Amino acid sequence: MVPLGLLSKGEKAEIVDIKAQKGYYHGKGKDLLCYVYNIGLHIGKTVEMLNNAGRGSVLVKVDESRIALGRGIAMKIMVRRIEK
Amino acid sequence: MSLELKIQSLKLNEGENPVRKKAIIVAVAGNPNSGKSTLINAIAGTRLQVGNWPGVTVEKKTAVFEYEGRKIKLVDLPGTYSLSPYTQEEIIARDYLVHEKPDVIIDVVDATNLERNLYLTIQLLELGIPVVIALNIYDEAMKKGYKIDIKAMEKMLGVRVIPTIATKKSGLKELLKAITEIVDNPAIHIPKRLHYEEDFELAAASVESYIKTTYPHLAEKYPLRWFSFKLLEGDQHVLQEINLSENETFIKDIREHLKRSHGDDIESLMADERYAQASGLTHEVLKKPETRKIEMTEKIDRIVLNRFFGIPIFLAAMWLVFKLTFDVSGPFADWLDAMITGPFKRWAETILGFIHAPEWTVSLATDGIIAGVGFVIVFVPVIFAMMFFITFLEGSGYMARAAFVMDRLMHAIGLHGKSFIPMLLGFGCNVPAIYATRVLENPRDKALTALLIPLMSCGARLPVYVVFVGAFFPHNAGTVIWSLYVMGISLAILMGVIFKKTLFKGEAPVFIMELPPYRMPYFRSLMIHTWEKGKHFLIKAGTYILAVSIIVWFLLNLPWGVENKRDSYLGKMGQVIAPVLEPLGFGKWEAASSLVAGLIAKEIVVGTMGEIYVPKLEDKKEEKPSLTEDLKEIGTSLVSAAKDSIANIFSTFGIASLSSEESPEMKEERESLRNVIRKQFTPLTAYAFMSFVLLYMPCVVAAIALRQEFGTWKWYGIAFVYQMALAWIVAFMIYQGGKIIGLG
Repeated sequence: MVPLGLLSKGEKAEIVDIKAQKGYYHGKGKDLLCYVYNIGLHIGKTVEMLNNAGRGSVLVKVDESRIALGRGIAMKIMVRRIEK
Repeated sequence: MSLELKIQSLKLNEGENPVRKKAIIVAVAGNPNSGKSTLINAIAGTRLQVGNWPGVTVEKKTAVFEYEGRKIKLVDLPGTYSLSPYTQEEIIARDYLVHEKPDVIIDVVDATNLERNLYLTIQLLELGIPVVIALNIYDEAMKKGYKIDIKAMEKMLGVRVIPTIATKKSGLKELLKAITEIVDNPAIHIPKRLHYEEDFELAAASVESYIKTTYPHLAEKYPLRWFSFKLLEGDQHVLQEINLSENETFIKDIREHLKRSHGDDIESLMADERYAQASGLTHEVLKKPETRKIEMTEKIDRIVLNRFFGIPIFLAAMWLVFKLTFDVSGPFADWLDAMITGPFKRWAETILGFIHAPEWTVSLATDGIIAGVGFVIVFVPVIFAMMFFITFLEGSGYMARAAFVMDRLMHAIGLHGKSFIPMLLGFGCNVPAIYATRVLENPRDKALTALLIPLMSCGARLPVYVVFVGAFFPHNAGTVIWSLYVMGISLAILMGVIFKKTLFKGEAPVFIMELPPYRMPYFRSLMIHTWEKGKHFLIKAGTYILAVSIIVWFLLNLPWGVENKRDSYLGKMGQVIAPVLEPLGFGKWEAASSLVAGLIAKEIVVGTMGEIYVPKLEDKKEEKPSLTEDLKEIGTSLVSAAKDSIANIFSTFGIASLSSEESPEMKEERESLRNVIRKQFTPLTAYAFMSFVLLYMPCVVAAIALRQEFGTWKWYGIAFVYQMALAWIVAFMIYQGGKIIGLG
């Protein structure tokens, strides 16, 4: 199990856990998880890393959408690599 | 096409019908990037009204039109992924649906991304309001080889599903027809109650019956099924609204029961239930081809988001937008300016002279009103050009990439990657830059960006620098001006860090954003969006600026018959303010008055100084050109403006406004102004003065832009105060520091 933020470009993985920590979105202290969920990232989903420069935001593909994530969030999403 | 004609012709008949029918209220919901706004534009076109949702800066679009003799009112809800209460957009959307109870909901679903879009659909169905699904971007789904079983979808959800291609206006007629059919017979169009896990259904049923008996008014007010689920989830937003605690015994009992068998987080479990429905449905109705070819979007992204090329490509794109905006619009702005200050003014003078209007009304009309309107109009080409390019970048999908690429750099000053774009545009003109903060959805990022924009040295400050630098630093002109630009940027970084630690404390920007597929924006939709954005400026800003120009005119010309500008109200204000500027090295009423007048636009500082310092080179009565000469001149200069505009696109040097030619009289006037300034200032005080002009309060047009974008004067107030303080402190340090090291 590794954080999503550590996948390298082209790797595919399944989301196994999203660490519940309070985050912020839209200026209000709200549960960030909910937004992550609504945008389509949840446990059981397969994600593909499209862009990871080692620092800054990462870009992942889930279903048909490309989602850019700040590194902070990307490190809270735990995934299991899928062997090719 | 035919649809639009039909709507229009029906609109004409409206007058014949004396009984105003009650409009069918149709709310339009959907995910961001589902093509929702394109769909609305395609249906409503120019009948779209843009306003704000009450109390917030989220855009609200509505349109009223007639279709087959019925009045339909479309209400565009903010694009959301869900109806949870976690973002401003979600709260607006769901409050509208729950409290305003529209007759029909159009749910715009991206056919290429069915599962996630259906997640919202599932939530909409809980409201019990008839839903029509616009299965949008249908052409792309077909192109990808997707097969969607529409009949099955309709049957499983109990709603109408209409494939649409908003960009090609296809499917819209069917969509509107479905709406009228639903309104004619709403009872058979109530969406299906999707069956969640048995325990949740039982719990919801008991909450429902409890509410019906104990709180009948709530049962009236809320869609019952939805309401019961929200109570089970412990939705704080709803609980607050009805003034109930989640510890209310009846809710608590049922919740406890659920928690015992399913775990603590009922909200997440419900989300999973809904997602399972969306997912199951997608599996049933969607057939995807086995092999997936690498899409165009991915290919472009590989280059555009490349670790090494990403930033250079972004900078090149920005440079191009910047250049196109100011170079394309520049000649037209100059042309408008020349037209207003030349022929228009002359015509007004002639007409007023002809009717023997008193001298002061002529001056008010020409120097006050026409000059004031001129200011607004001169901005129009710039604003529209910029809105056009910004809309293009947004529509094409590149804007989201730009944010991704710049995010890391901007993070340092507490900003979102997207903030870079408006800030950069600020160098041309702060006003469109403030409007461009629209690309930021998060109010916090938007406010912080808008607060920093005025520190970007805009084009209007350049004339001030040019005069002073010409007088004192003719040999280092470039370096001195450059140093002012750098000063602005450095202070923006500094203020960004300060604001992040004070005003916007604790609210770290979180970066989650969908990057939409690249699409070529349709010209029509580009034009509509550009017009929507520019119109605001034109109408509202226009009135304010006009008012301020008139006030300044009065200040400069009152009391009546004032001979010496020193005795005008503006001069007197200058005298009052002067002592405050004393420690900065330019505590003279002339400087102070000019700064006050600079409120309208910073370049006015120079104009006012000219008026005060330079005895009028008056009554050099030039030959007044005749009307036909004027008209000819307007025509030929427009042609040459268009030529310049096109030439500018291809030329690679400079910004048009910098290279524009000046008449010999203007040069002469500026030279005599410089001579006076040399006597009034020293190089040190001149530099302090220029820094002050760079930093002090945003001009009135920027003020209006701030007011309009945020719906409150608060941010202008903050900008005004901090910039005044910053300008004073910086000028003070320059002057006093300079004196200490012996530059005075």
